[in-house]
Amino acid sequence: MLSMTNISKVYRSEMVQTNALRDFNFQVNEGEFIAVTGPSGSGKTTFLNIAGMLETYTGGTYQLDGIDVGRLSDNGRAELRNQKIGFIFQGFNLIPDLNLYENVEVPLRYRGIKAAERKRRIERCLEQVGLGARAKHVPAQLSGGQQQRVAIARALAGEPRFLLADEPTGNLDSLMARQVMELLENINKDGATIIMVTHDPELARRAQRNIQVVDGQICDFKLYQGGLEKQRAGAEV
Amino acid sequence: MSELKPIFNALWRSKTGALLLIVQIAVTLAIVSNAAFIIHDRVSFLNQDTGLKAEDLFRFNLYTFGKNVDIAKQQEIDETLLRAIPGVADAVVINQVPLSGSGDSTNFHLKPTPQQSRGARAAFFMADENLLNTLDVKLEDGRNFEAADVVYSQGFDKTANVLLATRSYVNELFPDGDGLGQTIYLGDNPFKIIGIIAPMKGPWLDDEQADNVALIPQVMAAPFKRVLIRTEPGRRGEVMQQVEKVLLASESERVVSRITGVDKLLLEQTSQDRLMKNMLLVLITVLLLVTALGICGLALFNVGRRTRQIGTRRALGAKKSDIVRYFLLENTLVSLIGIVLGVGLALAMSDVLMRHYSLPRLDNWFILYSLAGIYVMGVLAVYWPAQRATLISPSIATRSV
Repeated sequence: MLSMTNISKVYRSEMVQTNALRDFNFQVNEGEFIAVTGPSGSGKTTFLNIAGMLETYTGGTYQLDGIDVGRLSDNGRAELRNQKIGFIFQGFNLIPDLNLYENVEVPLRYRGIKAAERKRRIERCLEQVGLGARAKHVPAQLSGGQQQRVAIARALAGEPRFLLADEPTGNLDSLMARQVMELLENINKDGATIIMVTHDPELARRAQRNIQVVDGQICDFKLYQGGLEKQRAGAEV
Repeated sequence: MSELKPIFNALWRSKTGALLLIVQIAVTLAIVSNAAFIIHDRVSFLNQDTGLKAEDLFRFNLYTFGKNVDIAKQQEIDETLLRAIPGVADAVVINQVPLSGSGDSTNFHLKPTPQQSRGARAAFFMADENLLNTLDVKLEDGRNFEAADVVYSQGFDKTANVLLATRSYVNELFPDGDGLGQTIYLGDNPFKIIGIIAPMKGPWLDDEQADNVALIPQVMAAPFKRVLIRTEPGRRGEVMQQVEKVLLASESERVVSRITGVDKLLLEQTSQDRLMKNMLLVLITVLLLVTALGICGLALFNVGRRTRQIGTRRALGAKKSDIVRYFLLENTLVSLIGIVLGVGLALAMSDVLMRHYSLPRLDNWFILYSLAGIYVMGVLAVYWPAQRATLISPSIATRSV
């Protein structure tokens, strides 16, 4: 359902050319929970941005649900992003001036969903993350873990096929991190495909598959129910 | 409209900037609508039809100091000399100059004093039978003066007994419209209305009865006199240069002064109004500019403050047009609140101006035009910052805090 072939991303400035991704080949199947790890600057976030269509790539082919992303306009990418992808950010990225209900509502409004349906989804998702009673609170009134749960509710409300999580526990203490991770695992069990970028090897181990990115290429570790298999760098996964 | 609710909530939670802008928009609307109304009022005043071709008319003063000069006789000679100058259409010695900003008016009544009767004030111009032609005002009804109607006097020892008047003046005295041929009185001196002339202004434009004008066929001999000359179109300049030479050649013991075009007199008379109009225009321009900068500045500030938020919205599926729309709606909300307050403030300001400066009541259309103008200006002012906001990449959402 997600397929990247020979994807490259080059950042150019006047003096420097940086190859953030090189010959990046990657496939994701429906219902997978994949952890993407790697050292800082390895290209994890660039990969996530391209997977989420937050930025364009320089070369290669990227297909999402059979749609060639490279052929889409800016509006087309925004629409596809809104319909198929839910984002969970390290910094939560809740809008501080909006209450929880309004925050979860944001992607639904961009999709043009009617008010009654929006209400139903928002209430269900806030309940799912255990914050149904706090819909009228603003983010500043919540702990970090609660804010991240709101962000998860916001990602879920659009009923996306993919959840892209960028260090979702990076700003949380271990207890909160465990709770968020359990939430993501439950969401995955319910059928959502999750790609999670993380520095935390413990969390990565809880995913079904672990992709390690080094120097813009995949150095792949697979984790299947405790089994460990290493593949050569740059191999198709 | 449901989109406005979260925008309103967001504004309400960080309201300082928005509140300041609301006050600014309200004050701007109040001042701009009242100032625009006053400008319109002044422009209408300045552009009103005077009934006279001021650009072809000029006046001058003639003071004879020679002790042995026969003033009355010299006056006849002067008029003849002046009418003979090439380019002169007609000339008269006159008691006051139309559109000059200074002169006399008096009350004529339907009955002689001491009887009580209806009266009305009019500016009165006294000259010989060439007066109507010099003014180039049409006779609409009745007849013009004849030489026999003209009374030459040393003062008010004797007076004419006919006059011409504008229709507005005659109708004020005779509301049934039957004034032509009637006799009216200045004190106990009777004047028969022998003709109705086309509308013309008296000496003052800002007089409530500026259209009330009476022409009297009387010439008073005096050492000091005013002369009014109408020239053929485009020849006024050359005639103005000749009059002094012509008159002094005939009699040197006198002074010709203040040779001035009537259009210039009119400009002098209306200089305060033009100054006020221009100052109000500058005020409106500055106010609108400051408000536009305020709107643009707040929008730019918000774009800067919400960079991550905008990136997040883009990541969550907002198209560029959604971002522009968000800022336009936010501005609309601020503008609408400011406009509602501004309408009340404009009406209150108009009330104060009416009571303290005798200005007419503010026409509601000016509030409507002003609020529409301010709204459109706000949309334009916010458009550029909104466009800048669309350049924020959605990838900013994943950057480290």
